Amino acid sequence: MMNPKEQLNKVIDNIEKVIIGKRDIAELSMVAMLSHGHVLLEDVPGVGKTMLVRALAKSVGADFKRIQFTPDLLPSDVVGVSIYNPKDMEFNFRPGPIMGNIILADEINRTSPKTQSSLLEAMEEASVTIDGVTMQIPKPFFVMATQNPIEYEGTYPLPEAQLDRFLLKIKMGYPTSKEEMEVLNRSQLSVPIEELQSVITLEELLELQREAKNVKVDETIRSYIVDLARQTRNDPYVYLGVSPRGSIALMKSAQAYALLRGRDFVTPDDVQYLAKFVFGHRIMLRSEARYDGISAEEITERILTKTKVPVQRLVGQ
Amino acid sequence: MNSIRKNKAFMAILYILVFLLLAEWLTPVITLTDTGHKPLFLIFIAISLLMAFLHVHWTIAAGVKMVYIMWFLIYVYTEATIFSFEALGFILDDLQINIAALFAQDWAQTTDIFRTVLFFSLLWMAVYLIHYWVSFRLSIFLFYILTVIFIAVLDTFSPYNGDTAIIRIMVVGLMLAGLLHLARWLEGHRINETIERLAGFIIPLFVMVAVSTALALYLPKAGPLWPDPVPYITSFSGEGGPGPAAVGRIGYGVDDSELGGSFLGDDTPAFRAEVEDGQYWKVETKDTYTTKGWELSEPVSEPVLYSNGDLIETEFEPGTEDDSQNAVLEMEQDFPFVLYPYGIESIQMNGEIRYSYSAVDQKIEPLLSGAPFEPDDVELQFNEPSYSLTGLRESTVDKLAELPPEFDRYKQLPEELPQRVRDLAQEITMNSETVYDKARAVEDYFERNDFEYSLTNIPVPEEDQDYVDQFLFETKRGYCDNFSTSMVVLLRSLDIPARWVKGFNEGVQVDSNGETEVYEVTNNNAHSWVEAYMPGVGWMLFEPTIGFTGSSQIDFDLDIETSDPEEQELPERPQQPELEEEDEEAAASAGSDGPSLWDRFGEYAADNKGSIFLGMAAFVLLSIVLFLKRQRWLPKILVPYYRRRNGKQTFEKAYLRLLKQLDLYGIKREDGQTLMSYARYIDSFFGTKEMTRLTASYEQSVYGGRPETVEWRELKESWENLINRTTS
Repeated sequence: MMNPKEQLNKVIDNIEKVIIGKRDIAELSMVAMLSHGHVLLEDVPGVGKTMLVRALAKSVGADFKRIQFTPDLLPSDVVGVSIYNPKDMEFNFRPGPIMGNIILADEINRTSPKTQSSLLEAMEEASVTIDGVTMQIPKPFFVMATQNPIEYEGTYPLPEAQLDRFLLKIKMGYPTSKEEMEVLNRSQLSVPIEELQSVITLEELLELQREAKNVKVDETIRSYIVDLARQTRNDPYVYLGVSPRGSIALMKSAQAYALLRGRDFVTPDDVQYLAKFVFGHRIMLRSEARYDGISAEEITERILTKTKVPVQRLVGQ
Repeated sequence: MNSIRKNKAFMAILYILVFLLLAEWLTPVITLTDTGHKPLFLIFIAISLLMAFLHVHWTIAAGVKMVYIMWFLIYVYTEATIFSFEALGFILDDLQINIAALFAQDWAQTTDIFRTVLFFSLLWMAVYLIHYWVSFRLSIFLFYILTVIFIAVLDTFSPYNGDTAIIRIMVVGLMLAGLLHLARWLEGHRINETIERLAGFIIPLFVMVAVSTALALYLPKAGPLWPDPVPYITSFSGEGGPGPAAVGRIGYGVDDSELGGSFLGDDTPAFRAEVEDGQYWKVETKDTYTTKGWELSEPVSEPVLYSNGDLIETEFEPGTEDDSQNAVLEMEQDFPFVLYPYGIESIQMNGEIRYSYSAVDQKIEPLLSGAPFEPDDVELQFNEPSYSLTGLRESTVDKLAELPPEFDRYKQLPEELPQRVRDLAQEITMNSETVYDKARAVEDYFERNDFEYSLTNIPVPEEDQDYVDQFLFETKRGYCDNFSTSMVVLLRSLDIPARWVKGFNEGVQVDSNGETEVYEVTNNNAHSWVEAYMPGVGWMLFEPTIGFTGSSQIDFDLDIETSDPEEQELPERPQQPELEEEDEEAAASAGSDGPSLWDRFGEYAADNKGSIFLGMAAFVLLSIVLFLKRQRWLPKILVPYYRRRNGKQTFEKAYLRLLKQLDLYGIKREDGQTLMSYARYIDSFFGTKEMTRLTASYEQSVYGGRPETVEWRELKESWENLINRTTS
C-alpha cells in the first residue's frame, strides 16, 4: 500500500501529463478535493481550465460532468427536474448534471443569481432538494467553477456570501512560452486527455480525505491562523475581512496540503502558502484600496509579512 | 568635470583663510621661542601658499622657496650682500659645521642658522600638508581642531596669551570649514556652481559667522567651571616637593604664602632612610603668618658653616643619654638641602662639603666649593632630644613674659586675625596651667572636636578670609597645613612662641636590616608640623594633624608616681599609618573594636568615590562590550553545554539558541518568515544543508507535537557546525 504522498503525487503527475507547467494548480485542486472543498478558477477562457478538471476526474476514476452556465440557464437545468410519467401516474426525478463526482461549472458568473445560488446550495449541502425530496449527491463531490474576470461584459458577480463557499480561488495564468510550445507539441500527435488512465480509485480518494482530517494542527498553528484572519478584519483597506468559515477553510486546506507534502502535521509554511488562495476571494476591499491599486492578494501578503510566525511551543504544552 | 577646485575666486578665498590660520600657528611659536623676523616667516608662508594656489610646478616652487630661505639666512645672519661669494661661503661653512654636529649627535652645537633652516622646512611641510587638505581632500576639520587645541594648550601652560587668537581661529576656521563643506557638497552632487549660487551660500555663511561671533563676544559670560588647571596638574606630577602641594604653589620653597586647595596623593619616592626608628625629617621653618599662608620675616642671613662631622648646633640639643644613632638617606629626588632629624649631631658626605645652617629658616644647605648643590647620599648622626617632665611641669605662663625679644617673631600674628580665633584658644586652654599643658590641649583639640583629615575639597580662603579661621570654624576639614598652621596661630594668640615646620614624616617601612629599618619616603609623606617654645625647657615638636603622632620624647624624671592618663600617652612614637587607606586597613584589622563594617565601608566608599566610580564605569563598559560581542564568545560556552545535555527539551532549546545566534550574526529572521524559509536562506548563505535538516526536526517536534521522535544525538553535529559558523 502506497503512502498518501505517493498516491497524491501519482494523481498530480497524471494530471501534469495533459496540463503542462501547472503543477501548483493541480496540487491546489487536489488540496480542495481532499478537504471537501470546491475551487473557483478565475481566468480568461482557453488556458486549460476544463482540461484540468477532466484530467483530475479521469485520474481518480470519478464521474465528470460539466455545466456550461449561460444567462438563460435555470436552476432545474442544474439540479434536475421531476417529470410526470403518465405510465406510472407519478413524478419521476430526472437528476441534473450536479449529481456527479466532479463537476465543472463553467463561467459561473454568466448566469443569473438564482441559478448560481442553486449550484452553491448544492455545493454547501452536498445534497439537493426537489419537491420536498432531499437527495444526497454521491461522494466524493467536487465542484470546480470557473469565472471570467469581473471586468468582463455581461457577468453577474457572485455575492460575498457565495464566494465564501469556495474553499480556494485560483488563477491559472498563461503558460510560459516554453510550456506553450510543449502544449502545441503534445496536441499535434493526439488528444492527450483521451489516453489518461485513472491512478487511484474513488475509495482510495475517500480514504485520503479521511486521512487529511487527521493531520495534526498544533495549538500554535491554530492561533497563527486565527491571528491572520483577525488581521484581515482590522486592515484599513478592508471592508469585510475573513469570516470564521475562512479560518476553517485555511486550516482544512493546510491539513490537506501537509498530507500532500507527506507530513502528518501542519507547518506555518503550509498556512502561508494557502492563505493567498483562501483569503483572496474572502476579503472585500474598500474603494480606497481600488484607487490605490491594492488587491486582496497584496493585503494578504502584507498581513503574512507582519504577523509573527509561531516558532516555539506554547507554554504549558 | 567642471570642479569647484577650478574656481579661482573660490579657491583664493580658501587660501587666504588658510594663511590666516597658519599665521595663528606661527605667532605663538615665534613669541615663545623668542624668534625674530615674524613678517619674513609670514611672507614665506604666503609665497608658498601662493605658488600652491597658482599650481606652479613643484620644481620651480621648491627653487623659489630655497632661494627665499637662502636670502633670509644671509639677510638675517650676515652683513654680506645678497648672493655674494662670501655669503655663499658662509652658508656652506655653517652647513659643514652643522652636519658634523648632527653626526656627532651633539645637538647643542648646531647653530641658529641651521635651526632656522629646520624651522623653514617645517613650515614648508605644514604648508604642503594644508594645501593637500584644502585642494585635494576638501576638508580642514582635523587641522582646525588641532589649531584650537594647540592655542588652548599654549594659552594654559605657557606665557602665551591666546585670548584673541582663539576668537580669530574660531572665525577663520568656521568660514573655512563652511566653504569646504560647500565645495564637497557641490562635488558630491555634481552641481556646476555659478558665481550667484556661490555668493548665495558664502554671503549668508559669512554673515552668520560674523553675527554669532559678535553675539558671543558681547554676551555676558559665566566664569570658568573649574579653576586654572595648571597648579592642579603640577601638584599631581609630584613637583610640589616637601609640604603638601597646594593650589598656587609650584616647586619646593617657592611660596607657602597661599595655603589651601585640594591635593592629590603622589607616591613618587623622595628618598629612602635607613634608620633605627622612623623620624620626622625637617627641612625648614617659617615664622610669619599672613592670614593666607607663611612667609619668612627676614632674609636668610648669618649662616653658620660646618664641615663633615662637625657638631651642628640647632635649637634642638641632642639627647643626653648615650644612644646616638646613625641614619643614611638615599635621595631619589634632587633637593638642594639636607633633611635632618631632631637632635642632629653631624652630617657626613663624600667630598669637601660645607653645610650652611641659618637660624632664620633652620635649613641646612650643603655647599660644594661655595655653591649649593643637590646631594645624593647623606649620612647623619643624631640623638633624639629628650625633655624633662619636671621641667615641662614648671613651664609656667609667667615665664613667657620674660622671654627675650628674639622670640617676638615667633609670636607674630596678623592684625586681621578674627577675635574668635583668640577666644577659641582661651577656651581650649582654660583648664591648663602650664605652657606645656596648654600646648598639649591645643594639639589634642582637633582630634576631639570632629575635625576631619582630607586631601580633597579643601578650599582656598577668600580675599577677606583668614586661612585658620576658615578651617577652625567653617570647613573643619583639611590636611597637615591646616592643622599645623592653626595650632601655631592658636598658640601665638596665647603668647606662646611657635613656628611652622616643613619636611617629611617617617614614611613607610619597606625593609629591615637587623638593627636598622629602611623607610621609603614619598611625596605623600611631605608634611608640616609645629614647634613651640616651652619656657625653661626649649623648643619642642608638636603634631596636631589627625592620624599623625609625631611627638617629643619625654623623660619621666618625676619623683612622684603619676596617674595622669594624659602623660601616659606620651612615650615613644609608635608606628603610624600615613595614608587614609592605610588607616582603613588598620581599622579593619582592629576587628570589633573599630567602627562597624558597614560604617567602614561607607567611609571607604566616601574616600574613594573617584576610583569606585571609575571601577564601576569600567565594569559597566566591559559588560556592554561583552554583551555586544556575545556573538563571538557565546557559542564557545553553548557548544560544550549542549553537547553534554540529552534531555527531552534539549534540542528545542538548542535550536532556539541557534536562531538567536544567527540573529546576532546578522541574518535576521523577519516576523513573518517561517522557520523553513529562513532555514533555506541560511543554508544557501552558508552553503550547507544542515539548517533545513534541523528545522524539519524542529517542526516535527513543535508543530508535529512529537519531541520524542527527534534524536538530539544525531542532530548535535549539524547544530555545532552551524553555531560555530556564526562566530567567524
